[in-house]
Amino acid sequence: MIVVRRKPIDEILKMVGRHTRVMLVGCNTCAAVSLAGGQKEVDTLIELLSLAASRKGFSVEFSDAILERQCEPEFIEKLDSQGYDAILSLGCGAGVATLAGDNDKPVYPALDTLFIGSAQGFASWQAECSACGSCVLGETCGICPTTRCAKGILNGPCGGVKDGTCELGDRPCAWVEIYDRLESLGRIDDFGKTMPAKDNSISARCCEWDMTKEGDDS
Amino acid sequence: MNLHDALSSGTFAVTSEVGPPKGTDVSEMLASAEILRGRVHALNVTDNQAAVMRLCTLAACIHLKNAGHDAVYQVTCRDRNRLAMQSDLLGAASFGITNVLALTGDHIVVGDHPAAKSVFDYESVQLLETIVDLKGGRDAAGNELHGVPDFTIGAVVTPDAKPFRPQLAKFEKKVRAGATYFQTQAVYDPESFTSFSAYARGLGVKILAGVVVLRSAGMARFMNKNIPGIEVPQALIDQLEASNDPVQTGIEITARFIEQVRSECDGVHVMAVGAEHLVPRILDAAGL
Amino acid sequence: MSNIPPHKASEADKDRVFAPCRARCPVHIDVPGYLSAVAEGRFTDALEIVMQRNPLPSVCGRVCLRPCEEGCRRCNLDEPVAIAALKRAAADHGAYPLPRPMGTRPERVAIIGSGPTGLTAAHDLAQLGMKVTLFEEKPKLGGMLRYGIPNYRLPDDALDRDIGHIVSLGVETITGVRVGRDLNLDELAQTFDAVLIAAGLQGSRSVPIDGAHLPQVMTALDFLERSASGEKLDLGERVVVVGGGNVAMDVARTAIRQHAQSVDVICLESRDEMPASEHEIEDATLEGANVHCSWGPHAVIGDENVCALDTVRCTSIFDSEKRFAPEFDESELRRFEADTIILAIGQSADVGDLGINLTHRGSPIVDPVTLRTSHEGIYAAGDVVTGPTRIIDAIAHGHRAAAAIFGALVDDWSLLRELDLENTVLGEIPPHMSEMLETRRRIQMETVPFYEAIKNWGEIEEGYTEYEAAREAQRCLGCTTGARLAQEKCASCLSCMRVCPHGAPGVHVGGYMYFDMEACHACGTCASACPGSAISIEGCSPDEMVLRVQRALASPTIDQTIAFVCGHTRNALETLDPNARIVTVSCLLRVDESTVLQAFRSGAGRVAFSECDTGTCRFPHALKLVAQRERSIVSALTQIGMGDSFRIVGPASDEEAPS
Ligand SMILES: Cc1cc2nc3c(=O)[nH]c(=O)nc-3n(C[C@H](O)[C@H](O)[C@H](O)COP(=O)(O)OP(=O)(O)OC[C@H]3O[C@@H](n4cnc5c(N)ncnc54)[C@H](O)[C@@H]3O)c2cc1C
Ligand code: SF4
Ligand code: SF4
Ligand code: SF4
Repeated sequence: MIVVRRKPIDEILKMVGRHTRVMLVGCNTCAAVSLAGGQKEVDTLIELLSLAASRKGFSVEFSDAILERQCEPEFIEKLDSQGYDAILSLGCGAGVATLAGDNDKPVYPALDTLFIGSAQGFASWQAECSACGSCVLGETCGICPTTRCAKGILNGPCGGVKDGTCELGDRPCAWVEIYDRLESLGRIDDFGKTMPAKDNSISARCCEWDMTKEGDDS
Repeated sequence: MNLHDALSSGTFAVTSEVGPPKGTDVSEMLASAEILRGRVHALNVTDNQAAVMRLCTLAACIHLKNAGHDAVYQVTCRDRNRLAMQSDLLGAASFGITNVLALTGDHIVVGDHPAAKSVFDYESVQLLETIVDLKGGRDAAGNELHGVPDFTIGAVVTPDAKPFRPQLAKFEKKVRAGATYFQTQAVYDPESFTSFSAYARGLGVKILAGVVVLRSAGMARFMNKNIPGIEVPQALIDQLEASNDPVQTGIEITARFIEQVRSECDGVHVMAVGAEHLVPRILDAAGL
Repeated sequence: MSNIPPHKASEADKDRVFAPCRARCPVHIDVPGYLSAVAEGRFTDALEIVMQRNPLPSVCGRVCLRPCEEGCRRCNLDEPVAIAALKRAAADHGAYPLPRPMGTRPERVAIIGSGPTGLTAAHDLAQLGMKVTLFEEKPKLGGMLRYGIPNYRLPDDALDRDIGHIVSLGVETITGVRVGRDLNLDELAQTFDAVLIAAGLQGSRSVPIDGAHLPQVMTALDFLERSASGEKLDLGERVVVVGGGNVAMDVARTAIRQHAQSVDVICLESRDEMPASEHEIEDATLEGANVHCSWGPHAVIGDENVCALDTVRCTSIFDSEKRFAPEFDESELRRFEADTIILAIGQSADVGDLGINLTHRGSPIVDPVTLRTSHEGIYAAGDVVTGPTRIIDAIAHGHRAAAAIFGALVDDWSLLRELDLENTVLGEIPPHMSEMLETRRRIQMETVPFYEAIKNWGEIEEGYTEYEAAREAQRCLGCTTGARLAQEKCASCLSCMRVCPHGAPGVHVGGYMYFDMEACHACGTCASACPGSAISIEGCSPDEMVLRVQRALASPTIDQTIAFVCGHTRNALETLDPNARIVTVSCLLRVDESTVLQAFRSGAGRVAFSECDTGTCRFPHALKLVAQRERSIVSALTQIGMGDSFRIVGPASDEEAPS
């Protein structure tokens, strides 16, 4: 799932403060699931923006809508934004982009898109994937070194690991975890295989993926 | 004698390091180097050490070279992609700078430009392979080079890393990738160091023991707590604590350590960590 | 006789899952609903909820026999919630609805008898807009509530509060008139569109023994009525009460207050078989009555001066088929000296003078569903029909009579149908849940000590203070009032599953969430965590919260503080702002960011959270989440330059707390 987080209010207000009627649009898929873009967050943000706007002397009127998924044009079609002069999206980057592409009004992001991650219990997520286009999880027992190693390195821990903790001190060392998991699966020999540097051209060329296009149907 | 010759002739190699300045004034760096002239086989030049931006390593190496020192060009993967690293390596070789030490590098967020984009297109193993490729006359993409560099290829290892086995596996990868000599993280326990060293030399690589002189018990405790892979034994801390002249005691500890491991390794790398002036005293005490 | 169109059970009816307390209550009061209102200090809301089903909250809060409490799911944990006493708290601390005569319809209904049955029917019919006239033989309204139940259990002013409200709906009352003697039933039936006989049981049973006619022998009802009317009776020194039920206990305790020197209660039943409530027996004993079990009255010995009751040993009272058939051992005799003997051995219907068809027990014959007698337009309800029951049964019958009369007169049977809707009862607390719930004893109500109590007729139980009531109500598990899911809003984020301490939420294949009602204790944690606002908890929807804030803020002064206060702990708000407007909540988690922000928009200058004492916290699992909520409120407000407007205060330490 895509994990998102609300931007600072000031930043949002700078974008929407110059408008008079703004529609906040939530997304009931990833953004809701990461507790930043569902009905509740839309309601809260409306309250917060109204309060902030009135303190700054802006008169902006806010209203709400929720889309099932903002990254799908068919869902967006259902949105009736007539009479509004701007849209504030509580979706991930893809949601904002899709809304913006489908609209004649300015669309602003209320959230920052953080990563593709997994849930770690309530209100807590871990980055798991960087969408690099060339997955190595098979070699690393499902722990992505590109994502979970702070340096994204591919051939084992750097010298910064301290008692199994990353040099940055904020996470376990991905490479120690990979080592342990390979070992527990009896695959420790694989650790010795040198992984070549990533072919970054794959993601560089991956601006779209259209299976219906000839030549793209790999 | 330069580093290459020392290592290949079996002479006990001695290296130390200098840090490039933040700015263009290299006089202090050269002054530090001057103190060590004739005492060490080569001087390492750090690469934006601790992710703090400084004068470029390559330029610093050229300054040292011009002043008649043998320099070790440290290359980290943090700030440059594979193109930049290769072209810098070729540039270094074109100036006759052929000692390279390949490292992954500290993370950007710990330095003075935390908002910068960290590169890590390569890490140390991949960098070593590419250096070997260059030495073989081809770049990383397999294209032929006109004018082929010759490098003495070094890498680093942390014998006291915790946990150790992943570190060891990575060390072995570096050996396979083509590193011929290794400089270790600061080590204090002769016994554990010599057992590592014996194993490593068995793989056909040279080992330079890393030493950092302890100037106080507080410094020792700080390093134990904060610096990954450093294990100062409690006995040494007690010794420093009890001493009226801890700096002298630290120097003696270091000298004794070198004495003890001398026959079990190929050299020593003295890290000054802010006390370059002490390096000659250490070398004196160790009889080097 | 009953020709109501058949009723089709709809899907919605099957969803009627009741908490066991509510299911056991004969009128199905929304118990968890009013308890949660009390828990939040909303006594008027609580009273309103009670009065939707029970027009006698002040009475029932004191003397209801509380079938609900036997069903309380806390029984398996520690002891039942003090459901009745909290009803009294609602009546004591809440405001009764303002008087508003309703009568907007043309129909006129006469009700004979102003006990709980008649009062309830009058209340309902008046609310439905009918013109109601209550006929009562006694000088005052209330039936057994006034003339049977003694004042030390139910004082007149408590009774009058309920009656006053009912009368204020525009009910006409005619007292001192006995229908059948002063007026006849036919006349009434002609003047009114319907007549309800709610005459109760005014006759007293007697025993066929020698001397029963002697002047020293009285009946319980006569004795209690005269006492209740303020008469000082000369009972002599020794009083013997015959009977083993609650009435006998009331008689014994009343006799003590009438200055009897010794009171002996004798009954056929063994101690275990006695029909009186355990606590009534205990109280009577404590006040000085001597209970003698397994003795049957044999003969009253005496003339004008000396008197005694001879008894024989009762060896058993029921036969093998559990029918009443006492056996005696005539060889074992015991004589109880007495100056007065009071028989409390049962009441009977006394409506022979009304001229309607009666059963062999003297009760009107009625259709069990509509309560109509064999006469068109004449109905009968309450104890007169059912024999002796409890007040709450009489109230239930009153509702039924009103619904049936309304149905017949207006041809709208929906009310009557509603009474017979099926309901499902929520099961017991699942074991994994009871393991997690802390045991909490019932909060003891202050009472007048027995040695003081017997000196006068004053009420013994003093009732809960507002704080005690809220604390006691916090013991309620909120059965059935917890998480309700609006499936279409759910994002399947699983947050509810992750935060619920009891594993109530679950997920089906396909990502559909469901909630196990039995495991839910309505803490509201899931609702507070749900990003889709898909979960609602009874009584604290966002709209309700806004309304409560606005109510609390009505006419705010400059810079008014609104304080959200955890109802579980005495707050220490005075340290912050003694004039803060207070909104009490069961858990601060029920106050979400937007509620706080809206409070500012509604005019609050500052918002405070008054936290509970972790030791007394009702929902300990929520503490961490409340802290997280507070941080996010502070962070949001700081971002818009209002960081100073939000404060958190801790609980008052118990020693300093004003009592
Ligand atoms: C001493 C005693 C204590 C009790 N304690 C409790 C208790 O603690 N809790 C509990 O739940 N239950 C208790 N009960 C039972 C409860 O009081 C009765 O079940 C209930 O009052 C029955 O209500 P009702 O309206 O049917 O009859 P009643 O309360 O008896 O009311 C009938 C009314 O009709 C009037 N009336 C009768 N005939 C006529 C007529 N022809 N014309 C005009 N008026 C007439 C009577 O005067 C009386 O006021 C007690 C009963 C007694 C006797
Ligand atoms: S805990 Fe509350 S809702 Fe549940 S049975 Fe007891 S009183 Fe009723
Ligand atoms: S979190 Fe609380 S309200 Fe929600 S389902 Fe669980 S017990 Fe019920
Ligand atoms: S918390 Fe709300 S949105 Fe998430 S799964 Fe539960 S009900 Fe659905």
